[in-house]
Amino acid sequence: MSGKALAVGPACPVPAQDVERVQLGHGSGGKLSRQLLRDRFLPRFSNPALDLLGDGAVLPATGSSRLAMSTDTFVVRPLEFPGGNIGTLAVHGTLNDVAMMGARPMALSAGFVLEEGLPLDLLDRILDAMAEAARQAGVDLVAGDTKVVERGKADGLYISTTGLGLIADGFTPSPQAAEVGDVVLVSGPIGCHGVTILATRGDIGFEVETESDTASLHPLVERLRKSCGDAVHVLRDPTRGGVASALNEIAEASDIGVELDGIEKAVPAPVQGACEMLGLDPLYVANEGILVAFIAASAADQALAVLQGHPLGREARIIGRAVDRHPGMVVARTGLGGTRIVDLLPGAQLPRIC
Amino acid sequence: MKYLDEYRDPQLARTLVARIKEESSRPWVMMEVCGGQTHTIVRQGIGEALSGSVEMIHGPGCPVCVTPLEQIDRALHLASRPEVIFTSFGDMLRVPGSECDLQQIRARGGEVRVVYSPLDALELARNNPDREVVFFAVGFETTAPANAMAVWRARELGVENFSVLVSHVTVPPAMVAILESPDNRVQAFLAAGHVCTVMGWTEYLPLAERYRVPIVVTGFEPLDILEGILMAVRQLESGRYEVENQYVRSVTRQGNLPAQDLVSRVFHLVDRQWRGIGMIPSSGLGLREPFAAHDAERKFALEGITADEPSVCRAGDVLRGRIKPNECGAFGKACTPERPLGAPMVSSEGACAAYYNFKRFPAPDPRAADVAAARAL
Amino acid sequence: MCLGIPGRIVSLSDGGGLLMGMVDFGGVRREVCFAYLDGQVEVGDYAVVHVGFAISRVDEEEARRTYEALKEMSELDELDWMREVAETGLGPLKERPA
Repeated sequence: MSGKALAVGPACPVPAQDVERVQLGHGSGGKLSRQLLRDRFLPRFSNPALDLLGDGAVLPATGSSRLAMSTDTFVVRPLEFPGGNIGTLAVHGTLNDVAMMGARPMALSAGFVLEEGLPLDLLDRILDAMAEAARQAGVDLVAGDTKVVERGKADGLYISTTGLGLIADGFTPSPQAAEVGDVVLVSGPIGCHGVTILATRGDIGFEVETESDTASLHPLVERLRKSCGDAVHVLRDPTRGGVASALNEIAEASDIGVELDGIEKAVPAPVQGACEMLGLDPLYVANEGILVAFIAASAADQALAVLQGHPLGREARIIGRAVDRHPGMVVARTGLGGTRIVDLLPGAQLPRIC
Repeated sequence: MKYLDEYRDPQLARTLVARIKEESSRPWVMMEVCGGQTHTIVRQGIGEALSGSVEMIHGPGCPVCVTPLEQIDRALHLASRPEVIFTSFGDMLRVPGSECDLQQIRARGGEVRVVYSPLDALELARNNPDREVVFFAVGFETTAPANAMAVWRARELGVENFSVLVSHVTVPPAMVAILESPDNRVQAFLAAGHVCTVMGWTEYLPLAERYRVPIVVTGFEPLDILEGILMAVRQLESGRYEVENQYVRSVTRQGNLPAQDLVSRVFHLVDRQWRGIGMIPSSGLGLREPFAAHDAERKFALEGITADEPSVCRAGDVLRGRIKPNECGAFGKACTPERPLGAPMVSSEGACAAYYNFKRFPAPDPRAADVAAARAL
Repeated sequence: MCLGIPGRIVSLSDGGGLLMGMVDFGGVRREVCFAYLDGQVEVGDYAVVHVGFAISRVDEEEARRTYEALKEMSELDELDWMREVAETGLGPLKERPA
């Protein structure tokens, strides 16, 4: 074909000063996501529960108890992957957000956007996995909705879930509650979910022997609550944007600095391999079955022990601590004793050659 | 991972740092040419660890940083055409053109895909015969054999809907441009290990001789870089200026001859514009005539698209080590990592982006911390 | 500029006239073009891979030599430090090299 008929006047061929549009990077969990939230959502919906920007909101209930509520929307390509499918994610993701607020998950609702042409046997597999995940977590799906859109409009299906939980005894870890001196723990190996999805998607043509780590984290939270109680200051599941983004949010919310030391030991070999090959940083790769905890130093050993006593937390380890230097920033100690900044990324991580 | 982890041993790294400091009788200024080395130096805090003994200037060695605005604008033009699937390494997606970047083109409906290998782009063309697949062929000598092979195979297999937008550059002319610059401060170079893996190192011999500058072919892991620096310091201290090879496990004197052969069949030397540096004669690669059918510039008649770099951005002076990033008027104001004007603000290892981060970071002196730790023993 | 990672060659095969191979990077596998190392590599060797192309065979002997030399340097420094501490007795504690 020939492009000769084309008028090539302006330097950039697309209409200059076009209206701003949503980019994929706005969904990456990095700086663009944060801007979208701060500039467009928060000013319109601002209220005390929302403005805390936790994984969900804490609401008053009867007596001294309180409700935790969280909502999340799941879009993933491919719909099925080693270790789970979009249905398992939709249950675990939302219940984990509820659990990170210190609540026992009680109930779940789900909205489904189905694309015309979605094979029903695929839908069955997704629903089976969802039901099984909810059963294992001891939570019922108590309300739901389905909508169907035209072919080509929804990548197969999207699921949005909302979870409710009960905070019974004043156990309320929160992103604002980290204190200088706290020890930072991670409950398992990092990067497995993101790398598995990237490999399964097939765009980059690599194979990896990892599975998504998708899991319900409430059992770990329950152990931490029972053994360490108020010494548990912050709990967070580092999903989109990875461990680095979660830690940045906590550092900012609590106005403390975070200093990481030896976090590379939490990166399993296949995740390291994929990240080396593609030039990605595992600290920004998504997880669906680990939590990050800020624990008072005096209770750190206890916390580590109870996490390691559960199958989900076998590989729990200490990855750093909260410091009074550089509040709002996360740094990692390097092998040379220097430090490097672990910042929020502007947008999504992309494979690089350079 | 074998051949990676052992070259990251912190104990050995600290030994090398101590050696470098011990053997430097005065502060030396070195440039690592390659962006991959810059990545390691910034991530590992090597510059910080060597401060007072060796100053590392980050070189222009990153295709993201040196691809001229004009080529970016041409890429944006192609990517916004409805019949085109535009393919690129991930590095190029956030590089700002005159008006926007490839990610914004995608948001406006252009089809832009990130590929890991140019052969993946060729495969995409074979699988989409009704579309035009264009690959953004950027890079240095290391990447040229891969891109050459994609073009060669496209002709061999008759894949007519595959073309490449070429913005290939070569390293030695850029080193000459830096050395010829009247305010050059670079006293020694770490040459790029993977460029030399392909090209060998004999072409650096006349450079070392003519400019009396030590050149050490260096790998990418912390121990490689520190050993390369130590080798360069030893040359400087003893007044030698030779080409030495630190990265012997991958680099041979003559390089990869089959790769050089195919590159020279597909490409020939052309004058190239370097972003921020300007035109450097015979510093780039262009497609040879037999491959014209796969040249996106000709296929889509892109010659009319030209662009001037924004005058407020002083990326060129930064890349040449003339000014520190924060001496640029746009730094941190009109130009930030979220809205970069120039390429060094784009990648997190770019000189400007790295500075932008450090500016906000009142770093405690790490040596002080280490001394305190030693006292506490 | 040039991300190149060493991986272990798992298999080699003909891919429509090009020598192709499967390379393992610590548990991650990717198909890689070996056209530029045709006749120079065997299964089990390590190769440096850049954008899906093997550009060199890792020279195991040289790699070992480089690493051993570095280790030796480190051990010598350690010995020096210990000797110094022994000689200066309980004097002011020096910062330990390494």
